[in-house]
Parts: sequence; C-alpha cells; structure tokens
Amino acid sequence: MGVGFIAGVIGGLLFAHAAYATIQYRGMLKIMEEFSGPPTNVVIELLLGLVLCMVAGLAVPGKFHSILPDSEENRVVSLPSNLDFMIFNHRGSLSPFDPELKLKT
Amino acid sequence: MAVQDSTRSSSEGKSGDDGEDLSIFHAENLQNNMKSIYYSRTFLSIMGGVVAGIWGFTGLTGFVFYLLIMAIASLGLLAKAKFSVGNYFDSWNRIILDGFFGGLMSFVLFWTFAYDIVHIF
Repeated sequence: MGVGFIAGVIGGLLFAHAAYATIQYRGMLKIMEEFSGPPTNVVIELLLGLVLCMVAGLAVPGKFHSILPDSEENRVVSLPSNLDFMIFNHRGSLSPFDPELKLKT
Repeated sequence: MAVQDSTRSSSEGKSGDDGEDLSIFHAENLQNNMKSIYYSRTFLSIMGGVVAGIWGFTGLTGFVFYLLIMAIASLGLLAKAKFSVGNYFDSWNRIILDGFFGGLMSFVLFWTFAYDIVHIF
C-alpha cells in the first residue's frame, strides 16, 4: 500500500502543476477563444500523472481474495469457527502405552 | 443443528442454479472484492475527469476519453485478478461493467470542475 499511495500523491502533484502551467499558458495567449490545446510538455505531464494515478488506483485498495471454498487461504479459516472440532492439548503422549504393564504389588 | 447451519451460512453463500458447478463460494470475500473494484473505478474516473478538464476536452471527445479510461481500468483489474476471473468473482460482468455509471457521474463532475478552474476562471 505504501508504494501505491506515494505514486498517487506524485500523480496528484503532477496534475496540479499541469493545471497551473495551463492557466499560465492561457494567460499568455490572451485570446480566450483560440485555445487549441495545452503545450506539449503539459500533455506529457498529464499522461504521466494519469499513469501514476492508475497504478495507485489499482494498487491501493488491496489484493483480491479468493472466493473458492477449497483454495489455500480459505481452508484453515473455517475450521476453528466450527464447534464440531475442538482441539485440546494433553500429555497423553508421554504416558507409556504397554498393555502388559501391571501394577507392582 | 440450527446453530451449526447459521454459522456456516454466514461465511458461505450460494449462487443461482444456472448450470455452473460453482454453487457455494465465500460471500464475504466476494463482497470485499466488489468494494475494491468499486473504489478503483471511482478513483480512476475522478482522475480521468481532472485530466479531461485540464486538457480542454469539450462535448463528445470527453465521453470517448471516459470510455478509454474505463477500458484501461478493466484491463488493469483483469491483470490484478491474474486473468482467472473465476477465482475472485462469480461472473465476468462484475469486473467489466460494474461501477460504470457511477464512475460516469464522478467523471462529469470533476471534468466540469477542472475545466472551469483552468479555462474559465
């Protein structure tokens, strides 16, 4: 999320700079109806800002989660919430399992 | 038994019976994915509107530009889903058409806003 956010901020700054440059360009023209397009470097700046904002817009909201119930990341989640399966730890593995063992009398 | 069914149905969902074999899926993740593409499309519509306003598009050219932005956004979302839509969504319409008209409203709003600031004011 960090990279996408920074890319979005830089894209926004590029847009602001392009807008300011276009306003100055219009003021320089001083003919209100002859505006055929912003100068070339402003166009390049706009496209660059758009590409950066696209990268930010696709990367910031986070990864897609799988919706299949048998995919890897969906498997373990449903197990603890189901009350049929409860997992306990006990020390039964330490006791000696020998059916012939008798009490010492 | 009733408690079991309610806890299972809160995390899974069924889709309609239209011949697909994927009838149960994780509805909460699907909702999160839908929100994610909605945010992406709205943000890209706003950015496209600002670019259209600064560039000085008027009339039909602006809407053509919006269609272009949405096509690129759909491509980007497809690439983000690694081109296997069945893993993340239940139909193709979601990733291609969803959020189109909501984005159009935001696009027009920011288009007129930026155009006014740069060219008129």
